[in-house]
Amino acid sequence: MSNGIEQALIGGVDAGTVILLPALGELISQRAGVINLGTEGALLAGALTAFAAASSTGSAWVGVGAGILAGAACGLLHALVVVLRGADQLASGLVIWFLALGMTSIFGSDYVGLTVDPLPVEKIPGLGSIPWLGPILFTHDVLVYVGILLAPLVWFVLWRTRVGLLVRACGERPEVVATSGGHPRIVQIAAVTVGSALAGLGGAQLSVAYVGNWFDNMTNGYGFVAVAVVLFASWRTVRVLGGALLFGVALASASVLQAHGVSVNQYLLDALPYLVTLFALVALTRSSGSDAPEALRRALSRSG
Amino acid sequence: MTAEAVAGTDLEPESLHEARSRSWRTQWAQPDWWQLGWSAGVLLASLIVFSIITALLGSNPFSIYSTMLHAAVLDHGTLSQTLLRSIPIALAGLAVAVPARAGLVNVGGEGQLIMGAVAATGVGLAFGSAVPGPVSWLAMAIAGAVAGALWAGIAGGLRAVLSANESVTTLLLNFIANDVMLYLIYQPWKDPNGSGQPQSKPLSHDEVLPKIFGSDLNLGLILAAVVALGIWLTLKRSGWGFALRVAGGNPIAAIRAGLPVKRLIVSSMLVGGALAGLGGALNFAGVETQLRPGITASFGYVAFLASYFARHSPLRVVFASVVFSAIALAGNGLQVKDGLDGNVVDVLLALIVLGPLVLGVRKGRRA
Repeated sequence: MSNGIEQALIGGVDAGTVILLPALGELISQRAGVINLGTEGALLAGALTAFAAASSTGSAWVGVGAGILAGAACGLLHALVVVLRGADQLASGLVIWFLALGMTSIFGSDYVGLTVDPLPVEKIPGLGSIPWLGPILFTHDVLVYVGILLAPLVWFVLWRTRVGLLVRACGERPEVVATSGGHPRIVQIAAVTVGSALAGLGGAQLSVAYVGNWFDNMTNGYGFVAVAVVLFASWRTVRVLGGALLFGVALASASVLQAHGVSVNQYLLDALPYLVTLFALVALTRSSGSDAPEALRRALSRSG
Repeated sequence: MTAEAVAGTDLEPESLHEARSRSWRTQWAQPDWWQLGWSAGVLLASLIVFSIITALLGSNPFSIYSTMLHAAVLDHGTLSQTLLRSIPIALAGLAVAVPARAGLVNVGGEGQLIMGAVAATGVGLAFGSAVPGPVSWLAMAIAGAVAGALWAGIAGGLRAVLSANESVTTLLLNFIANDVMLYLIYQPWKDPNGSGQPQSKPLSHDEVLPKIFGSDLNLGLILAAVVALGIWLTLKRSGWGFALRVAGGNPIAAIRAGLPVKRLIVSSMLVGGALAGLGGALNFAGVETQLRPGITASFGYVAFLASYFARHSPLRVVFASVVFSAIALAGNGLQVKDGLDGNVVDVLLALIVLGPLVLGVRKGRRA
């Protein structure tokens, strides 16, 4: 069974990256005071666009670039609607998800059943040879390393730079930023767009690296899970990293358990990651309510 | 200039705003022509964008609308289909609208519809032809409502006790509900006679809701209409409906006024879930009669869009649900006649809701 645990952890890091990238994006967005349920749509759009571009150019890297752009486009739309029009954030996000669901279903039907050469697995010299830990942490495709390196980078930018201070100020008191001569709306639009671009990158990790093909609605709610992860992580980067990996391991465990012939129904196992997320959300939210960026709390209580 | 004005946010609760200045009746009595014209223009813009998308897909951007009209309303039997499909959408839409009064965002209509259908299936299969049809109908409807209420109640309880964000928990519960349903379809309830298609055993003949008016419509439509009317009256006239609006409009004032805000949160989610669960049960017992994967066909999400489009006003939600149901059904026609992917109508639905968000129809929001 120790072999199974190793498999679950290896797969968990791969799958966890699919959650980690949009979750980091959502963290930036929510720190700027905008919740983006359209993250699910950006993930889906990123996955299809990346796959389509990779499959027609033959280069997975072109796919990755295209996925980022598709994600950014979804985010820009959400940002314009909620920041400039003052529309309800949750409603706008869901509409954008629904739009992405329909669009990817129509334009993706030609790509169902095709495969692309996925991003190669790069074993990091030296570190990758460490027994047990090597395969789990240091034998993945490049986007996994990008995701893991982005976590400290996002932390550094948000908490140790002027730009980060500006973003967080917009998430707490946009009026203060405005009074001191800043442009909170521009900052918010930029933050949501960049965040959503990361979700597009996550979609690329899913379609051209982790799975290597495309099917309808392949993100299956992972973008919503990413939003949940940010909430139960109390908007802290380290906890976002942990939460994403937790979901990834739960996701990978389901298939590993099956491969080991555990006689539990497949669909009950499929529910496991969502149950884990829900449980974590419930167990950890109690303390986090007051940590929410203030403008975000205002935006959420305005819903309805 | 106030702080809120700078932030571009409007803190005045929609529900109170509505109650004060544009109740349903006054709106019809004195239509704001500029407003109506603008709304029509926004709708037209959505349709133009949709036409461009279908043209990109190689269809005639004009003839699709006649195809859609025929597939949803004009062709023989299609109007009944539209009305039948609008039952789960309207009830799940009210499941969004009721908690919205209390300031809650219920995105769990899909999961609540599924649990309603699952519970109705369980009861229907257990009773079989052992009891008279009407007993079975009632039991299935009640079981569906209870299951939907419990499923939504989880999110309501978590919100009230632990302040867990209900929009996220209801979303996660949708995926869990779907997996629960798939488990039941593939294992305990699997139809041994199903020819390769995974589905539950069928309802016995007597248990299927009877047809009415000599048409394809069934008893579920009448029940749904009565329930929708009841909800409209309850929200408008009852103390509970008023308390919900106060709690949603200004929770702090509500607490100071001694209103049981937590109980209101949970009860609004329970009522909402019961409505959606009933919708799932009626759709199952009247139309589907066998549980199958994808039985809800995203109705829960379409309902969410319908409720937002109708700004959570019960009668408008029902009206929007019928229109959205027609659009959803029109996808079949587009698939057959124009060779488009049936899901293209999801894009149209999203565009119709997105239009007002982008171009702004709401009065008072532009100030």
